[in-house]
Amino acid sequence: MATLEGLQARIQRLDDIKQIERLQRIYGYYRDYEEWEKVVDLFSDNAESVEECDYGVYKGKAGVRRYYIDLLKGGKDAKPRPGYMSIGMQIQGVVTVDPDGKNARGRWYGFFVEARPTLGLHEGELRQLWAHGIYENEYVKENGKWMIKKLHFFLNFRTPYEDGWLKTPVVGHNGPSPEVPPDAPPTTWRPYPFGYHFPVHFKHPITGK
Amino acid sequence: MNLEELEKQVRLAEDIQEIEHLQRTYGYYFDNNMWAEIVDLFSEEQTESVEIADHGVFYGKKGIRRIYWDMFAGGGTPRQSPAWMQFIVMQIGGVVDVSPDGKSARGRWQTWLCEAKPYGAYPRAEWLHGYYENKYVKENGRWLFSKLHWNNTFCSPVEDGWLNLPLMGWMPLPDADEPPSAFHPYPDFRNNVPYHYKHPITGK
Amino acid sequence: MMSPQELDELEKRVTLLEDIQEIENLQKMYGYYFDTAMYQEVIDLFSENTESVEITDHGVFRGKEGVNRMYAGMVGMKRPGWMFFEVMQSQGVVNVAPDGRTAKGRWYTPSFECRPFGGTKKQTWQFGVYDNEYVKESGKWYFKKLHWNITYWTSFERGFLKVPKLSDTPFPHADAPATAYHPYPSGYHVPFPFKHPVTGEY
Repeated sequence: MATLEGLQARIQRLDDIKQIERLQRIYGYYRDYEEWEKVVDLFSDNAESVEECDYGVYKGKAGVRRYYIDLLKGGKDAKPRPGYMSIGMQIQGVVTVDPDGKNARGRWYGFFVEARPTLGLHEGELRQLWAHGIYENEYVKENGKWMIKKLHFFLNFRTPYEDGWLKTPVVGHNGPSPEVPPDAPPTTWRPYPFGYHFPVHFKHPITGK
Repeated sequence: MNLEELEKQVRLAEDIQEIEHLQRTYGYYFDNNMWAEIVDLFSEEQTESVEIADHGVFYGKKGIRRIYWDMFAGGGTPRQSPAWMQFIVMQIGGVVDVSPDGKSARGRWQTWLCEAKPYGAYPRAEWLHGYYENKYVKENGRWLFSKLHWNNTFCSPVEDGWLNLPLMGWMPLPDADEPPSAFHPYPDFRNNVPYHYKHPITGK
Repeated sequence: MMSPQELDELEKRVTLLEDIQEIENLQKMYGYYFDTAMYQEVIDLFSENTESVEITDHGVFRGKEGVNRMYAGMVGMKRPGWMFFEVMQSQGVVNVAPDGRTAKGRWYTPSFECRPFGGTKKQTWQFGVYDNEYVKESGKWYFKKLHWNITYWTSFERGFLKVPKLSDTPFPHADAPATAYHPYPSGYHVPFPFKHPVTGEY
């Protein structure tokens, strides 16, 4: 027989999943428009880290800020470059909330259509690119709001529009930045065609493994 | 929490689920050229407008019929689109917010499109991207569209790509109620489609 | 003080929401398992009472036994690094039957791939539509029937308009030929499993 408390717990969990999906999609929309300050504000003050592609690990909220503002934006006062585009569609989110209702994890595909320089993050002519990869993120609930605790984006390929992943799997990645260095080296730089499968965080829904 | 508050929470979850379904169903109908079904997804009384790419703004349910029935469906004539003509408008990543009174809602979505359309005598295959900022209303316990705004980021032939040829063959319609409100495709696409929501953390 | 009926009513609604969430998860997990070559995990998502699995023109594979024949050959097989599948599960519309025991779902799958073709490695785009059925057994949702309709499978270089389908791919060990193989540009529309949200018609 259902109880009020029991139902409350169940609806709360469903609501948590929807809130986290919403958070991740908003991350994508802010990222599309290069609104880096808004992106940083989606992370908890107790954020663990952000790591994308081969840039390395940026630790804590300070590292998150350095990554998005100093590195990706190019500095606090940098202006967006005309013609630059990196639209990252957040697809196929599977969110699992811990029983305590305070921590959660999510796996997403990121599918990108881009016009960006490949010489470096900010230098060189714009080229049109396809990119694809996987997010395995962690979220935390603080004061009733879900926030990003850890963002880890694993790049599968970033290829010129004209070439395709088989011909040219990765362009524009030259390792950690010497100007805005990470706190630790990249942990999982194994893009196509390494054959590396970025592990799923969730347990099998049937076998539980 | 009492029963009434719990029921409100359940209803909100149902509302979001239903709106996500509504938007995704719209996508599936669009791809299958089911224009009459699409017209029926819009509110009779409360539809504000429809705006797609640079066709212009069309008011009310009358505007819906103009766009989807007259234009897309050829006025309901039994003409068939050639089989090779294809629209796949993938509905991705909805951020749906329901108003506190539970009667209206807004949704931001992304679309990735794979199309084959005629240009002059020839079929061309294209990639397109666009954003939605839509509105929905609840009538008699059901959610419907009250405003659809699809903003086009680029529409590029597969051979060229968005950097080389961002825009191909859109067209403003002469009988629009208003000119397009926010048509700035690549490379000026940034910040065209304002968010309906405030920042989830800072609230700004 | 609330009545047991009111609580029961509310519970039914919560259960329905959970069902939809769980089925969406099931479908997305299928996608992730498939892409990461975890084929045993894929097989374990299917009910013991599976009706069939039918993918493009491979043919119909019946029952849980058919599921095993479909995927088991790939379990434990090492894929070369250059071979990959990213079949993104998108735009799910899931409807649960009033008895809460079965459900239907429609999904789109835009895909990137690279696989062997005619002795070479080929990078390809794919697109398909799922028309699936699910069943709830012992409180868990499983696949009951998986049907993937192919729209196109084309080379990266040529695109779907020029080369909609690289080749036909029937499997000789299927139980029956494909029931609905109509790739682009047939103009075929995969029928909807759901009623119109407003008019209530199919």
